[in-house]
Amino acid sequence: MASAPPSLSTARPPTAASPHGDRRRGALPPLPSCGARPPSRGGLRALRSVPLRRCAVRAALSTADRSAAPVESGGGKELLLEVRDLTAVIAETGQEILKGVDLTIYEGEVHAIMGKNGSGKSTFAKVLVGHPDYEVTGGSMMFKGENLLEMEPEDRSLAGLFMSFQSPIEIPGVSNADFLNMAYNARRRKLNQPELSPIEFWAYVYPKLDLLNMKADFLNRNVNEGFSGGERKRNEILQLAVLGAELAILDEIDSGLDVDALRDVAKAVNGLLTPKNSVLMITHYLRLLEFIEPRYIHVMENGKIVKTGDISIAKTLEKEGFKGVSEM
Amino acid sequence: MAALAFPRHIRTPPKPSSFSNKPKAKARTRISVRSSLAPPQLGFSDPFVLELAEALEDSLPSPSSPKLSPLQRIRDASSETLLSTPWPSRKDEPFRFTDTSFIKNSTIYPVSRPPPQSLEAPPASCEETQLPQLAIVDGYIVDFGSNLSGLPDGVYVGSLSNATSESLVERIGEFVSGFDWGDLFWSINGVGAPDLAVIYVPAGCRVENPVHLRYYSAEASDEGSNRLPLSNPRVFVLVEKGGEVDIVEEFMGGDGNRCYWANPVLEVVLGEGGKIRHSYVQNQSPCAAHIKWTSVQQEAESTYQLVEVSSGGKLSRHNLHVQQLGPDTVTELSTLHLAFNEQTQDLHSRLVLDYPRGSSRQLHKCIVANSQGQAVFDGNVKVNRYAQQTDAGQLTRSLLLEPRATVNVKPNLQIIADDVKCSHGAAISDLEESQLFYFQARGIDPKTARKALVFSFGAEVVSQLPNSFVQKKVENQIRELLVPR
Repeated sequence: MASAPPSLSTARPPTAASPHGDRRRGALPPLPSCGARPPSRGGLRALRSVPLRRCAVRAALSTADRSAAPVESGGGKELLLEVRDLTAVIAETGQEILKGVDLTIYEGEVHAIMGKNGSGKSTFAKVLVGHPDYEVTGGSMMFKGENLLEMEPEDRSLAGLFMSFQSPIEIPGVSNADFLNMAYNARRRKLNQPELSPIEFWAYVYPKLDLLNMKADFLNRNVNEGFSGGERKRNEILQLAVLGAELAILDEIDSGLDVDALRDVAKAVNGLLTPKNSVLMITHYLRLLEFIEPRYIHVMENGKIVKTGDISIAKTLEKEGFKGVSEM
Repeated sequence: MAALAFPRHIRTPPKPSSFSNKPKAKARTRISVRSSLAPPQLGFSDPFVLELAEALEDSLPSPSSPKLSPLQRIRDASSETLLSTPWPSRKDEPFRFTDTSFIKNSTIYPVSRPPPQSLEAPPASCEETQLPQLAIVDGYIVDFGSNLSGLPDGVYVGSLSNATSESLVERIGEFVSGFDWGDLFWSINGVGAPDLAVIYVPAGCRVENPVHLRYYSAEASDEGSNRLPLSNPRVFVLVEKGGEVDIVEEFMGGDGNRCYWANPVLEVVLGEGGKIRHSYVQNQSPCAAHIKWTSVQQEAESTYQLVEVSSGGKLSRHNLHVQQLGPDTVTELSTLHLAFNEQTQDLHSRLVLDYPRGSSRQLHKCIVANSQGQAVFDGNVKVNRYAQQTDAGQLTRSLLLEPRATVNVKPNLQIIADDVKCSHGAAISDLEESQLFYFQARGIDPKTARKALVFSFGAEVVSQLPNSFVQKKVENQIRELLVPR
């Protein structure tokens, strides 16, 4: 990555020659400030002053170049996630699962990853949030300019990275209310805001339950204890609604949900989408993508993203299976 | 044995009597240790034990009124047993994992006569002071304004010596000294108990408020002095047919690191259809020894529920014996042992079922969070020949949070009947990684996550405490323990 602002003419950045060329939306390279800045702890605070920086960069663009930029990217959008050539193995056995994943997500975008069972989709998501079962062996992951590899899982979460697990586990003995309260207060502490007492927190959480069509007694139950699969997924989305996130990774949020539940969950997720935050969905089926419309769909195969496109990929997948997609 | 010498004692020529059965003139007539080893005795006398027994006997006043005859009978029976009961060693199965040398190597002396009148009542919350309570200090029952007037008619809570009803004393006399399963410590309490506290609930009577027994150890020595004052509180509970009562036993620690040995006994006789909810909270000083016996006899269709939370004491052992005397009983035992310091927490429980359709559930949880900490569990359930259609379940879960923390568990079911449903399970682990990660993935740092998970591990037992003020107290105690020092 160049450390000096690259020429914003038609010269494409070196990585554009990669097989993932389709994914790059036109010639506009990633904003140099985000890519080139070395990872630092002060990154988060520095990012608070994003608008100023972005304006400065935009000013640097000549009007001629701006007209050359494609309509889609809209210029000046902040880069949320940048994954380059990520390789990872299972910590215990050393078996390689991710074999060079590249992905870029800007704010306000909805991405989806589809792929065969065992292709590494969930592993990718878990590696992003720092699951101890996996070890990164190469490549880089930058989130809002900060190097995720240097951050503990709780710091990644506090930075705005949320993951809804495929099979959320039970925590008997800890109530949902307490759990959410702890997590929410951790965020408030990070933002130097005063923590909420249990009663204030209850007032904050209560309306969110309505959003997901959940009953009030749910908060008194222990985390995921005795929950059906669908209830656990709803719980994950409730946590997303309560805690907020800049990039929400939804790992197979649709599995185990009936049509009504899926509609509620999709409505909640759509309601949380703003131009400032993004969603990365991992799914097998077209159905979810009809509720939450993705801008980009990536197909993952054998630990790598092999294809990127739009909704037409999903439709082909539905009709012809993965073979049809690889011939696209 | 013959080689042992006790220069302090004056030996008189052998007399035919054993050392305790005849009323003694307190002018020191001590009997030679060796001579009491008359051949008919099968076991051998342990001189250490005998010395302790004599010291205890000497510390008590001679029985004056006939009212104390149940107590005297207890003393007699216990001293008889002590003649042939040695101090337990690690070679004895019940003490295989429990090291009692801490007590044996100290200088043990019985507490001096009743605590001084000037003793003040320790602080209690306002809810507590409104409940009927009995304060037992060093084994002596002390009146701190016990508020016993609110109890229903016929209910008696107090010392046996103050009991006005002859029939009550007689009734109690029917039950004492009938226990065959005791060990050395049971007998030591029998010999050394200065008084017998009684809780009596007549037939069909339901006591609304829990009876609160608060035990204190006023006499104590300083840490490092290697002296242990021994107190023997003894309580007898008799609930007649259909009676119901909640009992809360609270063993307080007091300030600072004071050393003492508390050796309490609680005997419960639960009549037909009766119900007792027993809460036992032990929070004694970190260098104290605490050895408690709880013996329960359950008649048909009665319900006994025990919730125990023990967190104090350098050596804390609870011996629990529940004997079923009729069919269709319900027994629920939930215990939580916390070893956050260099301490040993031990539960040896035994449930003997001889009648059909008994139902029992035992849950034992322990948390050891210190490399020198140790937890021991021996849960024995005997389902004998006539205990058909018994439904007995036992589960023990231990959390080891530090390297070299130790837990020894021995769940054991001895089943002779053939139409029963019995299960037992044991799990020993650290906190689950996947649960810790779930907390981290939501932005909660590992330390807070560990605290929450450890607290919630114990919460399963603590939430069963039937009285909310006790529950709150215990929750606060646990929270304090979890704060890293």
